[in-house]
Amino acid sequence: MNDDPKIPIRPTKPKPRARSFVIALVLLGLTFWAAIKVSFNLSTFWEVWSNPIWAKFWPIPWDWVLTKENTFDPLIETLQIAVASTLVGCLLALPVSFAMSSLTTPNKVVYFFSRSIMNLVRAVPDLFWAKLLVTAIGIGAFAGAWSLTIFSLAVMVKLFSETVDAADPKPLEAARSSGAKHLPAVRTGVLPTVFPSYVAYSLYIFELNIRASVVLGLVGAGGVGRVIETQRQFFRFDRILGLLVIIFVIVWIIEQISVSLRKRLV
Amino acid sequence: MQNLSETQATVERPLPPKTFHLWLIAVPLLVAIVWSVTGLNITLSRLLDAPGDAWTILRQMIPPAFGEVYERGAVGKVFESVYIAWIGTIIGALISLPLAFLAAHNVAPIWIRSPIRQLFNAIRAVPELILAVVLIPVTGLGAWAGTLAIGLHSIGTLGKWACESIEDIDDGPVEATKACGGKWVNGMRWGVLPQVMPIVSSYWLFRFEINVRASAVLGMIGAGGVGSELVSQLSFRNFPAASAVLLMTMAVVLTIDTISAAVRRRIIKGAEIDEESKNLEAIADLTGIRA
Repeated sequence: MNDDPKIPIRPTKPKPRARSFVIALVLLGLTFWAAIKVSFNLSTFWEVWSNPIWAKFWPIPWDWVLTKENTFDPLIETLQIAVASTLVGCLLALPVSFAMSSLTTPNKVVYFFSRSIMNLVRAVPDLFWAKLLVTAIGIGAFAGAWSLTIFSLAVMVKLFSETVDAADPKPLEAARSSGAKHLPAVRTGVLPTVFPSYVAYSLYIFELNIRASVVLGLVGAGGVGRVIETQRQFFRFDRILGLLVIIFVIVWIIEQISVSLRKRLV
Repeated sequence: MQNLSETQATVERPLPPKTFHLWLIAVPLLVAIVWSVTGLNITLSRLLDAPGDAWTILRQMIPPAFGEVYERGAVGKVFESVYIAWIGTIIGALISLPLAFLAAHNVAPIWIRSPIRQLFNAIRAVPELILAVVLIPVTGLGAWAGTLAIGLHSIGTLGKWACESIEDIDDGPVEATKACGGKWVNGMRWGVLPQVMPIVSSYWLFRFEINVRASAVLGMIGAGGVGSELVSQLSFRNFPAASAVLLMTMAVVLTIDTISAAVRRRIIKGAEIDEESKNLEAIADLTGIRA
């Protein structure tokens, strides 16, 4: 066909390998199996939207929602959980992060243990921590604050130890070569260069904690989620919707403040 | 000699730069701590008792009763969480991909992209757990509620990530399809999709890892999966069984994380990613909540 040597032959498409077929088939089979297991059914999509229960979400009873004991006291408790756990978690994270960074770790044993423990802590979702602590030390905001403290510690050390890893090693070397011991060397050689990102990450953790503390109450760990859980049991979805609107307005405002602070820091 | 001492006298040690007053930060922080701690009814005795209580529970958790929870079908529950996460991710991926094309500023007009962006933002603002609280009365308890909550919530993040990677593409191939007379759809199919598919599919996998954790948590309020098992064991105060469930969940989470991370590295080998912002997103998703 293509006799003219000036026109190049169209390159042929590479043939798919047998392995790709097998992988695709396995994934497809797994998907179907999973879909059956979660009772996936396309028609349920429409059933969900046409369910008459949506009418129970409306109208919002604002005179019930906008009261001190129903919304604002629990919301303040939520804020207090978030503030306390952020402060404690991030303060604890500072020394642990330095122990977890290859640049500033005092020795290999500390490095290894802190890393593996923190990885295990992070493998447990935050609400599992909340439920565990509620069982261990009692229902209420105290358990919630502890669980968020543990979780913010685990998340913060992951973020911040990577920043410490990437810090400029030269000031540290300079401090060491002038005879400084380990702690003063880290304090003057590394801390000043990474401190802005420490504060920025702390603010970020605060945003996460605000959001997490809203749902803590669903497992009995205090805050505004407790009210949602109670109203859920009474099937007062209109009240839940009203609560959610207030929560998200307030969470959004706090977040905007925190985000603008973080932008100025980094 | 005299000369030297004169020169030395003129060299002064530089003054330390004026810094922010420390107490300006310390005082508000102290106030914040006092305010939050008083609100939480933390008394000294509770604070001192807490480690002891936690230790008592921890001691009862060892050894974990794997046999007992196996007979109760906890393995099936763990896998149910994985199924929920998988189908939820697929729902999120399939819905978010076309929407992402309509939200990217280099391929979509403003009147369509701003409402879709707002939709992504609004979805990301609501935690999965809250979505499930709203969905459970409609769908009933069970895996389908969790799947829908995760699917809906994944649309927000996956849409945002896909939209950002579409905005980062090289415009050449899109122009080439236009020059050949291709329509908008052809440009998307042959100019954009091949460029973004590797990174977008790795985002899907990443979201799947996050969704496994999220679906485990969703079970706690009855939306299917392993969370319900943990809650019931803990409320029976059957701690060996609870720790077995916990360890099984951790094992599955860590295994899926490792496999998925390896596949993702393989897919985007050599591709440039903004490491820090990805970490932030990762943490956001790991906790099931977003900034």
